[in-house]
Parts: sequence; structure tokens; C-alpha cells
Amino acid sequence: MIPKVTLTSAFALLSLAYGLQQSAASQDSTKHSNEAKTLETGTFHGKVHQTSGRATIYQQADGEVILRLTNFKTSNGPDVHVILVAVKDADDDTNFLKNGTARVELGKLKGNEGDQNYEIPRNTDLAKFQTVSIYCERFNANFGAAPLEKF
Amino acid sequence: MDSRLLAWLFGKKWILLGVGVPILAAAWWIFRPEKLWVNVKVDEPAPFSSNADPQPQYTGLLAARAHPTSGRASIYQGPDGRRDLRLTDFVTSNGPDVHVVLAQSSDGNLKQTFVKGRLDTIELGPLKANQGDQNYDLPDSADLSKYDDVVIYCERFNVIFGSAKLAKF
Repeated sequence: MIPKVTLTSAFALLSLAYGLQQSAASQDSTKHSNEAKTLETGTFHGKVHQTSGRATIYQQADGEVILRLTNFKTSNGPDVHVILVAVKDADDDTNFLKNGTARVELGKLKGNEGDQNYEIPRNTDLAKFQTVSIYCERFNANFGAAPLEKF
Repeated sequence: MDSRLLAWLFGKKWILLGVGVPILAAAWWIFRPEKLWVNVKVDEPAPFSSNADPQPQYTGLLAARAHPTSGRASIYQGPDGRRDLRLTDFVTSNGPDVHVVLAQSSDGNLKQTFVKGRLDTIELGPLKANQGDQNYDLPDSADLSKYDDVVIYCERFNVIFGSAKLAKF
């Protein structure tokens, strides 16, 4: 026969553990019910060609994936494009052509200042292409890079 | 080149023009030097029309200090002007009297893990849970241009569990 005290204290311990477990996880609902879901975000760095601002990837309700640049600024230049590259991060003036780095072309840079959107091809693997680069195609130079992190 | 050839060349200005002008044009096209002064500004709207929903104003990633801490801290502002802090993918260790506070990233005390002085903070409330997504109301008076660091702070022992430097979204 097990003494009553042991049983009581075992029960007390168990309920305490249960109580602790209860307090461990919270799940506040998001207060924003955006049609577009924010997938990833990151900030630009680039000193040689002064690049700054934020890059954010949204997925819209219809499945379309959009890259949006905000508070964005870079230096103007010839044949500058926005690309996604399969690297964790990139230094100024990196030559992705020489490195043989895989990339996804998103289009010509629309403006060197201001908010702007770019469509990302549907089959793009965002787990692989982790960095946005403002890339001068004529001289194969990275003006600025924004490593993306899950939002 | 001897001087006679030079003289002949300058005599025939059309040769100079025919060779020089295309070279200059090509150099201009390649380097586009005027772009050093010319800015192109765009202002596209967000790819969704939901200004009725709270929008992120600031965001940052949590970095571990005294205890393993990770996740994202974001400040949202609703159309009514109310702001709140939202933690997502959040994990820290459980502890006694742990609070969520805002501190100034310029504050020297914030660099310590075990704070010896007094950390200048804005209190957002006791930590609701050590895991999971959670929201905290921001006081209207909170100046995020100064208090730009979210800190998971153990008030009992003045220990910084982790912190996130906020950057404009």
C-alpha cells in the first residue's frame, strides 16, 4: 500500500508541472487580416554605391508573390536590375557572374529612389534565393544587398 | 605618329568626327555619367489595399543574451493610431518576473547582460508566455525614435534574456 502523503505530493507535483506547461505557449491572434501575407523581410546594405531601405516579400491571396522595396535609395547607374541570388548575403561590388551564383531576374530597377514592387516568378524557391541584390548588369557589380529573414 | 600624318589627319576633320563621335557616344552609353546627378523617383502603392488593417512600422530580430532567445519583434500601427508590439516565432526560456520592455539602444546599460545600473525602460507588461505569438499594447507616449530596442528583461535579477533592435519597416 502506498502511503497517502506520497500520493498527495505526487499529485501536487504533477498538477504543478501541468500548470507550468499550460503557461508555456501563447497564441495571440494576429490583429491584421491583410489579404497579402508578409513572408520575409530584410534591410539593404551597400556603402560603395550608398544603398539603403527595406526589401519585403508578400504573398497575395491569389498566390502571387511580390517583392516590395520601401524607404529605398541607391545610386543611379547604367543597366541596374533587381535580382534574387542564392547566397546568404553579399558584399559590395560582388560579381555574381564570376562566382557563378544562381539568380532570379525580377526586372530593371524602376527608380533609384522610392517605394516599388516587383513580381517574383511563381516557381521561385525562396528557401534557396535568400538575398535581394541591386545589380549593375553592365559592370557585374552588386550595388547593395538585402539578406532576407522570415517575417 | 609623325607630324605630317597628324597634320593630314587634322586637315581631314571628317575623319576625326567620324571616329571620335561614335567613340564618345559609346563611352556615354556604357557609363551613363549623367546618372550620377539624375535621380529617378518612384512611389508605387503597396500590392494590397488594406490600410484599414494595422501596418508594421518597425521590426527586428531577437538576439539571445543571458538565455537562448529568438524570434521577431514588430511594431504595428492601426488606422486609429494605436500601436502594439507583436512577437512572432518567439522562444525564450521561462523565468521569474520576466517582462517585455522598450529600452534605448544608445543606453550603455543595455550592453550588459547582467545590468548593474538602472535600465531606462518603458514597461509593456509581464511576459505572457515564453513561447508563441503574442501582442503587447504600446503606451501612446512611447517615442520609438528613442526607445528603439525591445528587451526581454528579468526584473527580479536585472538580467537581459534577449533583445531586438528595431528598424523602420
